[in-house]
Amino acid sequence: MTRPQLLAALLTVGLAVGVVELVRRRRLSEEYSLLALVAMAGVLVVAFWTSGVTTFTHWFGALYETSVIFFFGLVFVMVALVYYAVKLTRLTQEVRRLAQESALLRLKLERAERRDGEGGR
Amino acid sequence: MRVLVVVPAFNEEESLPAILAEIRATAPGVDVVVVDDGSHDGTQVAARAAGVPVLVLPVNLGVGAALQTGFLYALEEGYDVAVQLDADGQHDPADLPALLAPIAAGRANLSIGSRYVAGASGYHAPLLRRLGMVLFSALATAVTGRPLKDTTSGYRAYDRSVMALCKTEFPQDFPDAPLLIQVARAGYILEEVPVAMRPRTRGTSFYTWTRSLYYPYKTLLASLVLLLRRPPQRAGGSS
Repeated sequence: MTRPQLLAALLTVGLAVGVVELVRRRRLSEEYSLLALVAMAGVLVVAFWTSGVTTFTHWFGALYETSVIFFFGLVFVMVALVYYAVKLTRLTQEVRRLAQESALLRLKLERAERRDGEGGR
Repeated sequence: MRVLVVVPAFNEEESLPAILAEIRATAPGVDVVVVDDGSHDGTQVAARAAGVPVLVLPVNLGVGAALQTGFLYALEEGYDVAVQLDADGQHDPADLPALLAPIAAGRANLSIGSRYVAGASGYHAPLLRRLGMVLFSALATAVTGRPLKDTTSGYRAYDRSVMALCKTEFPQDFPDAPLLIQVARAGYILEEVPVAMRPRTRGTSFYTWTRSLYYPYKTLLASLVLLLRRPPQRAGGSS
């Protein structure tokens, strides 16, 4: 094992433990942790299966292994960002609808309470 | 015809009492609801003091969602028409009958109080804003096939069928050109009515300079994306 491989292994395992710990404390949902864990597994594969990376680089037509790794790393990050933006949009829509519903219900409640107040006493 | 005036208000405690009193004086037959869009001031207190029901949004959602809240209320309460009227005093309640006329006559589903059609007066926007208005007017005209001069006017009347459409399909943030385009594409009839806009009594324009950069981008994108969607189906019957 080379030193960069050792560093990659330590880093990814450390991050994975951190992610699992966040899930355990319910600070991160399983759904989102999956993305992070898959990414870390990807880093480990790339770090240790060097012959595979070289073969893929030739097949891809790139000159350097590093550029292939960075290219796909960036693509992954971009896709992940769009995925989060989609999630955020849905959450925003849901919050909006809930806030509207709360406004409608609150007015209804105020009216009902006023009616009760008038009728009851 | 039961008419509900929807007044979206964000931090408008100072201007609300005057406009609410004015609506009551000029149009005693219509109901009013204030949508307090997460204000930090006494907006809802001011509205309640005027004896007007308030829909209190717990967080600030923006003028589009506030208006949509008013529509949801109007639909639930069985109103035939909802009128959008700004809290800052720009819109003259005396124009209400003119604004309602096309809908009452069954000529239109949505009427727009316009600053630019013949008969309107007294409004001069800064150059840059005028440029944007011309652009969106041209876009809306091209898409809907009808001349639409004033896409940014916030003084409009909507009938029930349009409100029902807006319940599910609603452009968020700025309900201007994209809303009109969507309503027109669904097969509803839009009509512009000349009105005079007054200078706002208090507060600053909703369109601050940061928004003046974001607004054209967002509105243009929203309008163009609408064209990629299948037009929503016009609800049958009611008009």
